Amino acid sequence: MNKQIIYFPKDGKPTVVANEWQVWDGERDEGGIPDLEHGLHKVLVPFHWWRMHNPAHHQNADVLDKAGKGEIGVWFAADDDILKHAEIIEEGKNLWPVVGAHFPIFRDGRSFSTAALLRDRFEWQGEVRAIGDVLIDQLLQGARVGFDAFELRPDQSIDIGLKQFDLYSVATQNCWRDTRSTQAVA
Amino acid sequence: MYKYDHIDQTLVDQRVIQFRDQVERRLNGTLAEEEFRPLRLQNGLYHQRHAYMLRVAIPYGLLSAKQLRTLAFIADKYDRGYGHFTTRQNIQFNWVELEQTPDILAELAKVEMHAIQTSGNCIRNITSDAFAGVAADEYIDPRPVCELLRQWSTLHPEFAHLPRKFKFAINGAKEDRTVLLCHDVGIELKKNPNINNGELTADIYAGGGMGRTPILGSLIKQGLPWQVLPSYLTALLRVYNRFGRRDNLYKARIKILVKALGPEEFARQVEGEWAHLHSPEKQSKDNFTQLEWERVAKHFTKPAYQKLNAVSNEVVIASAPEPERAAFARWLERNVKPHQVPGYASVILSLKPHGTVAPGDATSAQMNAIADLADQYSFGELRVTHEQNLVLADVEQSQLLNLWRAAKNNNLALPNIGLLTDIIACPGGDFCSLANAKSLPIAKAIQERFDDLDYLFDLGDISLNISGCINSCGHHHVGNIGVLGVDKDGEEWYQITLGGEQGNDASIGKVIGPSFYANEIPDVMTSLINTYVEQRTGDEPFIETYRRLGVTPFKEAAYKNNGKHSKGALA
Repeated sequence: MNKQIIYFPKDGKPTVVANEWQVWDGERDEGGIPDLEHGLHKVLVPFHWWRMHNPAHHQNADVLDKAGKGEIGVWFAADDDILKHAEIIEEGKNLWPVVGAHFPIFRDGRSFSTAALLRDRFEWQGEVRAIGDVLIDQLLQGARVGFDAFELRPDQSIDIGLKQFDLYSVATQNCWRDTRSTQAVA
Repeated sequence: MYKYDHIDQTLVDQRVIQFRDQVERRLNGTLAEEEFRPLRLQNGLYHQRHAYMLRVAIPYGLLSAKQLRTLAFIADKYDRGYGHFTTRQNIQFNWVELEQTPDILAELAKVEMHAIQTSGNCIRNITSDAFAGVAADEYIDPRPVCELLRQWSTLHPEFAHLPRKFKFAINGAKEDRTVLLCHDVGIELKKNPNINNGELTADIYAGGGMGRTPILGSLIKQGLPWQVLPSYLTALLRVYNRFGRRDNLYKARIKILVKALGPEEFARQVEGEWAHLHSPEKQSKDNFTQLEWERVAKHFTKPAYQKLNAVSNEVVIASAPEPERAAFARWLERNVKPHQVPGYASVILSLKPHGTVAPGDATSAQMNAIADLADQYSFGELRVTHEQNLVLADVEQSQLLNLWRAAKNNNLALPNIGLLTDIIACPGGDFCSLANAKSLPIAKAIQERFDDLDYLFDLGDISLNISGCINSCGHHHVGNIGVLGVDKDGEEWYQITLGGEQGNDASIGKVIGPSFYANEIPDVMTSLINTYVEQRTGDEPFIETYRRLGVTPFKEAAYKNNGKHSKGALA
């Protein structure tokens, strides 16, 4: 995992902050939350795993406890159809401080639509984090569609990444972060 | 034509800065080729057989004389003195250096041009009728909608990495000159007094395309008010972005999704998504407003036409002195089209001289000459056609003779528009690294075989389209005669299709049988054409004879003396 992330809140500035959330890939599932890296308490679990271990239905004490402390979020795979599970996501608004959307490879743009739907359809107010194969040349698009946090692939330069967000001072369509540029009224 | 405001200009200037940085990172090794590739493609930069190729957008085919001079300058300074106009209203430079591409883009930005989204898995350059705003059969000038959607789709963040490329075409005329049904989305503009208060509406066709699986688009929405195009298209593209196949490059286009779901189900899913985007409180934000229409549409007003009387063809012909008259009349018949305004006509300059260069190529000298002709005869503007020719849209009929003479001096006046030698062809294996076979020598050989203008005129309308591979950039599927280059055991072979057609009766051609070797193609063409000449009745055009008789007589003729697989390249 990357020790740092870029955090770029809506109406804020992009900054580098420590990465507190470990992404669990769902492998070696023993039915509970796996051991986290030293010093970490917060985990993003696969959305499909959450659905299977939904604390509302399975009285999994460990999961319930962590969720109660705000230390569990979920991440959506590129092929998760989030609209099919609207109820779970609505419930998640009160449970998950952070959700992630995964890029299996940088050129797979499905998670752009996931982020747009989370913001637009679900009116998701919490953090939406880009995870996976996140490269600096995706940051700008991601920031516009609905992501406000980015865990870059570890080989990516975070400094060059930070410079991506103000490349453009204009836009020709609306998006989550801003509306399209219009002519100043003379 | 449209003039950039400071928003458009800022955007293309900043795009140059962004791309310059990406190229620098590529050159200093911090950006791997695999990861640079989609970035350069989204800016029109391909890596071809011999060099990089830069594809520059000519949005909906509109070009000013000033812009064409810049293209000529770029051809001279950064390339080898020519450019290639494509079937999708772009121009390609075949010999550019990666290091110089940011400078080329900066030159383009100075004249309100760019290469944004001319390639890559994103919304491509939007194409339209080359005769928009002037065609006699037009009911809606599509250009304001084209421009609004150009802006809407430019650097659209959600649709930057679609499953595959995505092409829009927009038509507003009775005759379709955009190959509308072969596009991922075709937008047909209409006006109906009973819908949208008599304002503009759009019919949406989705899932058309050529390539490996040619399919005509299906009508999925009728009477959509123009104002809501952004929200409807967002819904449509979102469904495609989420559910289009990403496991197989050849099944990733929207046509495969529409086919798999069925057009009705696809339309239902789009409608479902749209219902959320288009709620009353959101529509003021996302949709087009009247103010925006006015901002854009004011650029597409009519030029300062003279008040003239329409002149009959006979009178125009009679203006030529006797020795020139027959040739001038031929040019008028094939290369001059009717205009909305009395006393004016639209002129097609043929970029298909016989047997010399690639169809659609223009040298820098020709580009400069054409720019001068545009300034002198057509309000300084021109258009690029889907058939890879150029149009001077607003020529006074009284000036046609002078224009013809000037065009002749620049080898631009061959009267072959719509005839057998007005061949559409991709650059093929001479340039393209995707191609299985060469296109240009085939085009040249056919043009040389059929070099007799009397005979070509007698044959009348026939479209012949050549693609060097199944990606179908030469649109062979919709040629009355289509030629497709295929690779068999490392050799170049050519498959023939018959019965394709663009326009209102669009259809996809059918393969006649096993492929031919290159040196057989001219004889095969002769057999096909002879069959038509023998079988036609009255002024029946080729496509009608084919539709009446079916493939059999053509097929028999084609294979009678050919298809023996006697290998041989063209002489």
